Amino acid sequence: MKKTRNRNSARGVWIFGDYRNYFQDRVTLQLISKGKELAQKLETEVTVIVLGDGIHQYAMEYVAHGADIIIAVNDSRLKEYQVETYAAVVAEIVEGYKPEILLGGATSFGRELFPRLAKRLNTGLSADCVALEIDPESGLLIQTTPAFGGEMLADVVTPNHRPQMATVHPGIFKERPHDSGIVGRVLYPEIDIRPDERVQLIRSRPHRTGKTNLEGADIVVAGGRGMGPKEAFEMLYELAELLGGEVGATRPAIRAGWADEERLLGQTGKTVKPKLLISLGTSGALQYTAGIQGAETIIAVNRDPNAPIFKMADLALEGDARSIIAALLEELRKRV
Amino acid sequence: MNIAVCIKQVPDVPSIRIDKQRMTIIREGVESIINPLDCVALEAAVDLRDKEGGSVTVLSMGPPQSEEALREALAAGADRAILLTDPNFAGADTLATSHVLARAISKLEPFPDLVLCGSQTIDSDTGHVASQIAQELDLPQVCGVNEVHVEKDFLVVKRVSDRFLDTIRVSMPAVLAVSRELCVPSHIPFAHLERAFSERDVIRWGMDDLDLKPEEVGFKGSATWVARLHTPPAKRKGEILSGSPQILAGYLVKKLEAMGIIDEEDKKP
Repeated sequence: MKKTRNRNSARGVWIFGDYRNYFQDRVTLQLISKGKELAQKLETEVTVIVLGDGIHQYAMEYVAHGADIIIAVNDSRLKEYQVETYAAVVAEIVEGYKPEILLGGATSFGRELFPRLAKRLNTGLSADCVALEIDPESGLLIQTTPAFGGEMLADVVTPNHRPQMATVHPGIFKERPHDSGIVGRVLYPEIDIRPDERVQLIRSRPHRTGKTNLEGADIVVAGGRGMGPKEAFEMLYELAELLGGEVGATRPAIRAGWADEERLLGQTGKTVKPKLLISLGTSGALQYTAGIQGAETIIAVNRDPNAPIFKMADLALEGDARSIIAALLEELRKRV
Repeated sequence: MNIAVCIKQVPDVPSIRIDKQRMTIIREGVESIINPLDCVALEAAVDLRDKEGGSVTVLSMGPPQSEEALREALAAGADRAILLTDPNFAGADTLATSHVLARAISKLEPFPDLVLCGSQTIDSDTGHVASQIAQELDLPQVCGVNEVHVEKDFLVVKRVSDRFLDTIRVSMPAVLAVSRELCVPSHIPFAHLERAFSERDVIRWGMDDLDLKPEEVGFKGSATWVARLHTPPAKRKGEILSGSPQILAGYLVKKLEAMGIIDEEDKKP
């Protein structure tokens, strides 16, 4: 890799301030923390760009979590998250300041905004990164993203276009502690805002699919393809109840109809950080393990001793998940 | 109502195996399928056409063998199929892929009222292409759509985005990326497949047909490069224990006791 640092004099690590999700997944705070690390290596600053109406409180929170600069566009026409208008405004500011890196959360909105924005800026984008590093030789951002259904990881680089853009799944990086003593600069650029009238939000209501408390659970029992059929998968619910936990599932289990979409763990589902995760009949594709790697202890049960899940397990049991869970339930039922 | 549907032929991901020496996927014995969410988009397009009139054109960028996926789409009810294939298209990232698809859509006559895509593919999982087509064609977009109603020259759509249920009015032409809740793809009768593979035509457009230059497409037109492929690092190295289900369940119980999750004293006599 040749030296391509500061191409077109691009400078600075930028993060899109996705405040609508602030109270749920805090992904912007996690990105500020990772952004600080990247910025130190590049000897530059972390800027958060935040658009909306009444966003001052979020701007201050971002500073307290480590942002050096806030670029705030506060305008009632930006009250609703609208991808066309947001892409136009962010693109105009990015073209003016030329950041080297632009990161966003892989929230629903981030996943909708960032591709449009990347196209508008004629640059690359990597999706759902699980790691971000600066290559010490080239100074390029190495964007590590799952490939081939999560079986492998790809290190992606954007050598000739700026900014280097990536989305990151919530829960991958740890946020820095809140420090209200930190001082940051807030800039209010002059922007000509033209809402896209072809799209009108008629209604937006909080949507509660979640009867589950997967994200907050201390114990998660997760089932995959090896926990089928549905009748066998049902045993997970009894186990979860006996242990005081929640049931999670991999994509193949959900595709087979053994569990609802809201129980999906991983890259396109939920990220969990329980004290204990029992993974039953799951091979360990990265798109799943990305969602469970924060678990303190992982117990895995699988027939295949070479299953990738065993490489991340603290206790690995080789055998049929259904027979073992049946035996475990029998043992647990003897207890109160 | 004229609808364009973008589909991708993908390897059936759950059956993929990796050659760890060469860091490549083993395609041998792996079936190719239409990306499952693209099947949802196609089904929705055919339903809308049946209700509103018009036509469904299905497009796919890919190697020549992607023609199979397009023939399957014809069997599922599409009126016309266009394969965007050219050796220069190989190695494209989403920026270059959406460029070829957007250019092809812009050449359709009449210009479609609606472009439908699946929200993401099961092989690369980026979910970028619909948004990037919308940007290139300067069209409004809605991602994650799970309900569509057609009103005169606009659509009312619903989608779930970050724990909000949004109802959105979007004027046509527009790009929608669909979620799996939108509809269930119906089974394709064997006779339809047979006819699609023996009698129907698939139009082929290459780089020249789309007035594109080599530097705009494929690897050369891509902004991102894959510098390295590797397998996920082993995080922990637990010992692998084997035995009868009762023995293994016993280990689990001990572990749960050690963690204080269950109590030994609770055991009934």
